[in-house]
Amino acid sequence: MSNPASEGVPLPEIQIFPERLLLASTTEKLLNRLYDVKNVRQINVQGEGLPAVIKAGPATGGPVNHPERKKIKVKGKEIELTVQVGRIFVEISDIDLVPQALKDIEEVCKEVLPFGFTLEVGRYNKFKPTTSDYKRGLVK
Amino acid sequence: MAKTKYKPQFYPGNTLPAKNRRRFLDPSVKLEKLRDVPMDDVVKILGHRVPGSDYASIHPPLAEGNEPDCPIRALVEPIEGAKKGDRIRYVQFTDSVYWAPIVPYVRAQMYMWRYRGIDTGTLSGRQIIEMRERDVEKVAKELIDNETFDTARTGIRGATVHGHAVRLDENGLMFDAWQRYRWNAKKGEVEYVKDQVGVPLDKPVPVGKPMPEKWLKEHTTMFRADGVDMRDDEEVMRQNLRIHTLRTKCGFKPFDVKED
Repeated sequence: MSNPASEGVPLPEIQIFPERLLLASTTEKLLNRLYDVKNVRQINVQGEGLPAVIKAGPATGGPVNHPERKKIKVKGKEIELTVQVGRIFVEISDIDLVPQALKDIEEVCKEVLPFGFTLEVGRYNKFKPTTSDYKRGLVK
Repeated sequence: MAKTKYKPQFYPGNTLPAKNRRRFLDPSVKLEKLRDVPMDDVVKILGHRVPGSDYASIHPPLAEGNEPDCPIRALVEPIEGAKKGDRIRYVQFTDSVYWAPIVPYVRAQMYMWRYRGIDTGTLSGRQIIEMRERDVEKVAKELIDNETFDTARTGIRGATVHGHAVRLDENGLMFDAWQRYRWNAKKGEVEYVKDQVGVPLDKPVPVGKPMPEKWLKEHTTMFRADGVDMRDDEEVMRQNLRIHTLRTKCGFKPFDVKED
C-alpha cells in the first residue's frame, strides 16, 4: 500500500502498535474505522509475512492456506492481506492536525483493540522515492 | 584427601525462575503431566513415519553380534532404538518469549540430565533433539504431555520456526507463518493441522487447551525485565559472571587462570 510519490515535507504519521498480532477481520474493521477519522491521508500496515507457498523442507511447493492471508474490504476496495498486521501507520495531512487525530484514533483503537495498544507520533516510512524505486520503475 | 560424594545442585539462585529451572533439570523430580496426546497423533505430528508402520533400520540389530569388540560398547547400555538399529530422527520445539514454560537453553540442560542417547542443539528460539526413531517418539510424547509444553506458546516445528519473539496473535497463539496449528474456538483448544514440517494432516490433531496466564507466570523459567529480573538473583549473576570470566580467560590465557 506504500506510495512512492514525493511529498514536499515529511508528513507526520501516527503509529498504532497493538499488543497482539491482528486477525484479518480486526484489521479490516480497524482500517475502515481509521479512514473515517478526519485528515487521514493514507494508511500503511506492516506485519509478519504470510507466505502462500511452503518454500523449504519436505513440504516444499505445498500451499500454506493461512486463514489470515485473505482479501479484506477497505472502503469498498478489495485488498489482499499478505501479512499478519502488527503495526499500522496513519499519515495525517498536516502536523497541526495531529493532536485531534490522535484523540480520534485513540477512541477507535480503544474500541477495536481491547487487548491494548500504544500510539506514537513520528515518521516511519519513506516520504520521497528512493533510488531503487526509480530503478524498479515505480515512479512515473 | 577425604572423598566427598558429588551432589549436583543443578542451578543456582533462589528466585522463582531459578527454582523452576532446578525442578526441570533435576531428573528425580517427576514433571507434572498436563495432557495425554495419543502416541499415534504424536507420530503424525512428527511426520517421520505412518503410525503403525515398521521402523526403518540403518544397521542390523545389535543382538546379532556383528559389532567388533569395544570396551566402551561393553560399558554403555544401548537405548532401545540403537539395539534395533533405528534411523536417527528428530523433534524440534519452539518456545515463545511470552511466558512459554521453558526456554531453549534450559531445554538443553534438562535433556542432558533426563535422557540418554540424544544429540541436542540450542538456537535462540528453538531446540532440536536427534535420537533413534522409537526413542525420539517416546521423548516427544513425554515433552508434549508434560508441563514443559503449552499448547499456545510452544510449537512443534521442524523448519521455518520464526515466531518465538513475535507478539502473540489475538487468540493468544504464537505466530507461525506455516500455520501448523490453529485455534478451535468451538472447543477452546489448539489443534495441529500440519506435521512439524508443514505437510497437511488427514484430520486435525487436538493437543488441548492453553494454560492460563497465571499458571504460566508461576511456572516460568524465564528471567524477564517485566517479571523476575536476572539481576535480582545475586547467586545466578555470580555464577554467570564466573562462567563468562572463565570462558574468556581460558580462551585467551588458560595458564593464567587461578581458582580455588
